[in-house]
Amino acid sequence: MAKQNNNGIPRRDFLRNAAAGAAALATVPGATAKLPPPERGTIPPPPMLPAAEVETPSRAEVLTAERTGSDFMVDVIKSLGIEYVCSNPGSSFRGLHESVINYGGNKNPEFITCLHEESSVGMAHGYAKIEGKPLLVFAHGTVGLQHASMAVYNAYCDYVPVIVIGGNIIDATKRMPPVEWAHSVQDAAAMLRDYTKWDDLPISLPQFAESAVRAYKIAMTPPMMPVVLIADGELQENPIPSDAKLSIPSLALATPPQGDSAAVAEAARMLAAAENPVLIVDRAARTAAGMPLLVELAETLQAPVVDMGGRMNFPTRHPLNQTWRARDEISNADVILGLELADFWGAIHSYRDQMERTSRPLTKPGTKLISISSTGLFFKSNYQNFQRYPEVDLDMAADAQATISSLIEAVKKQLPTGRKSVLQDRGARLAAAHEQTLQNAREAATYAWDASPISTARMCAELWAQIKDEDWSLVSTIQFVSRWPMKLWNFNKYYQFIGASGGYGIGYGAPSAVGAALANKKHGRISVNIQCDGDLMYAPGVLWTAAHHRIPLLTIMHNNRAYHQEVMQVQIMADRHSRGVDRARIGTTIDDPGIDYAKLAQGLGMYAEGPVTDPKELGPAIRRALDVVKRGEPALVDVHTQPR
Amino acid sequence: MKVEIICRDVALATALALLPIAARAAEPRAVRGQETSGKVSPGDAQKGKVVFEALGCNKCHGSEGEGVSAAGQSGGVPRIASTSLALPVFIQLVRKPKNLMPPFGTDKASDSDLADVYAFLQSLKLPAKQESTATVNPSNGQRLFVRDGCYECHGYLGQGSTSTGGTRLGPPRIPLSGFVSYVREPTGQMPPYTAKVISNEDLSEIYNFLKTVPPPPPLKSIAILNQ
Repeated sequence: MAKQNNNGIPRRDFLRNAAAGAAALATVPGATAKLPPPERGTIPPPPMLPAAEVETPSRAEVLTAERTGSDFMVDVIKSLGIEYVCSNPGSSFRGLHESVINYGGNKNPEFITCLHEESSVGMAHGYAKIEGKPLLVFAHGTVGLQHASMAVYNAYCDYVPVIVIGGNIIDATKRMPPVEWAHSVQDAAAMLRDYTKWDDLPISLPQFAESAVRAYKIAMTPPMMPVVLIADGELQENPIPSDAKLSIPSLALATPPQGDSAAVAEAARMLAAAENPVLIVDRAARTAAGMPLLVELAETLQAPVVDMGGRMNFPTRHPLNQTWRARDEISNADVILGLELADFWGAIHSYRDQMERTSRPLTKPGTKLISISSTGLFFKSNYQNFQRYPEVDLDMAADAQATISSLIEAVKKQLPTGRKSVLQDRGARLAAAHEQTLQNAREAATYAWDASPISTARMCAELWAQIKDEDWSLVSTIQFVSRWPMKLWNFNKYYQFIGASGGYGIGYGAPSAVGAALANKKHGRISVNIQCDGDLMYAPGVLWTAAHHRIPLLTIMHNNRAYHQEVMQVQIMADRHSRGVDRARIGTTIDDPGIDYAKLAQGLGMYAEGPVTDPKELGPAIRRALDVVKRGEPALVDVHTQPR
Repeated sequence: MKVEIICRDVALATALALLPIAARAAEPRAVRGQETSGKVSPGDAQKGKVVFEALGCNKCHGSEGEGVSAAGQSGGVPRIASTSLALPVFIQLVRKPKNLMPPFGTDKASDSDLADVYAFLQSLKLPAKQESTATVNPSNGQRLFVRDGCYECHGYLGQGSTSTGGTRLGPPRIPLSGFVSYVREPTGQMPPYTAKVISNEDLSEIYNFLKTVPPPPPLKSIAILNQ
């Protein structure tokens, strides 16, 4: 990213907004105040700079200011309790940058050096899912936000709060040519507006304060989403006028919307009367308090729970967890309650991608569908992440977690006293099925146990053996390793899983893991990242960020040497056209040469070893890396794995 | 920008994992040798062959209903050629299978259709022994398994994956003819492999490779899987 060279010439005429302290300096209207001649040995201005850039100013100047707009902006940021700013440095927010590290003491927020704006936002994404609140991202209003956009889209689809501040030079007469013109834009937030919840362009410091507090509040109100503020360079860098009356509005977060009481009562009646109620949960547990509520609801009904995995919703070893028997339970259900279900239609249909794409319902005719989701409160048109329209019978546009308590109470009132034995029988049946499912998963994991490349089941089992007695947190997705952790591990704490990217945009994994590990750091947890190879190579520099900031994170490379989903997609096309599949690897594999991720990580300052190809060597390798992580640093083990 | 498309839903993935696995529809001793009840008219074997293939019975049970045993693991499919089941019992089992076989309701096949299938099965002779693939080369089969992309969804040893929807193949739990039938016209998400793409001979070699996949170690012997 190009950085400007101001060559010692002040970019702005501070006389126009001189601070009181500067008023004592002599100024003579119309007089020409010459800068001292360059000292011997001073580097002359580069020849490509326009004449205006090297001309001396026409009057005496104030060259310093003790307190500028960016200092006040940092006051505002501090008032919001924001712990970190993730940023790749850029001149359009140099004022804010300097104020954070000097005026703000580089603490709350602390500046986290990122090597790509997509990494900055990805880190914010992972951090928020662990800590339950946003951190800040600084980026150029143009090239920075363009880099950041994919990660913003992921956070938007995943309903995660992120606050992005983009720098911009709004007054065209103040832009230094040529770079600042290329880095300025009329409407910087426009490129993100389709997939952010709110944005603003404050033109004064009082407005910045209001907008920042409002932005935080909007981002944190379900459905949570990213928000954007544009910080004008002049507003950042100009001194605060002596007569400025600045204050910071207080923040009172909006309470999440609860379901209408009549609708809650009706849902309770339907669930209590059901012979086979099923709960399908996705982003239902918004905070740690959500998990026990979901457990209480399920136990009250003795209903099976199918966890779609958007968040850590339900303990994996709970006997009512029937995620791996989803089809059986859904096809047998007479009432299904979907809680913050991103894709209700998809959860109750099968879909077949052949020449003619077909689908069919998994439910039997007459099954009643209830939805409680805050996503119904906020829609945008252009991007289609809202999924197919589900024909539900009762739809509460409300936050599921905020509604569950009242739903539990209503269900308890509605449950007939005579149904106790029915519920007990149902619970016993489900518990037996759960135990059998666990045994089946363990049995399935034995296949290809000694294979090389190493099976994903073996890799996940070896990892579990090393971390199970630690206070661990899995900060990565699981769908690319056949979801083995959810099948084999005992997840029972909210921070032990953070769901997936939301928008399925590759490049989310590594930065979100580092961001989540940053949040886990102060809690002393062991953060574990099962890292896909293709994902890491979008912006591997985030490993350097982890090393530089001493963020403890155990990364196990799921190195299948391919964008494997795409290998299969090309295979589908080749088969459909009867052209053979032996060339499906062209353009889809990451091999010849294979990437040495251990060397890559070592080069970025991390402990790393591998590639491990012998499954018997994997456990010891993980143990050595874990020792490094326990000392407070990141470590990586490269593992040559089976495709999935 | 690259966008990952994962298996469309968990339910689908589960379904895909089950589709090629037919039931071990154990024949109850009590009904062996019974005659048909007479409530359903005797079927037409020629029509039955058409229905047998249209319903995809051949994709698990084999084109001759030969079935396969699966030593050392659960699963396998029963031989149904010349079945000794009585017709009503046969229909009842098809309507409400006892194990992994998917049910076939009247919306998919009438009693008359199933009577035709039954007649077709009765017309089949019992194979003297299971088909042999001893003459083919397992290492070549392994090469073909990779070359033709089978490993992509099923893993290098055919262990399967719920992420891809590829079911476990090794050791095989369906007969070779069922294997070939399914590869040619899969009923699930798997892409079809025509004869232009892969020959029957190559499929035989792949099948033979899958037969050489060693059974997994006993679960009890792996301590870290029991935690």
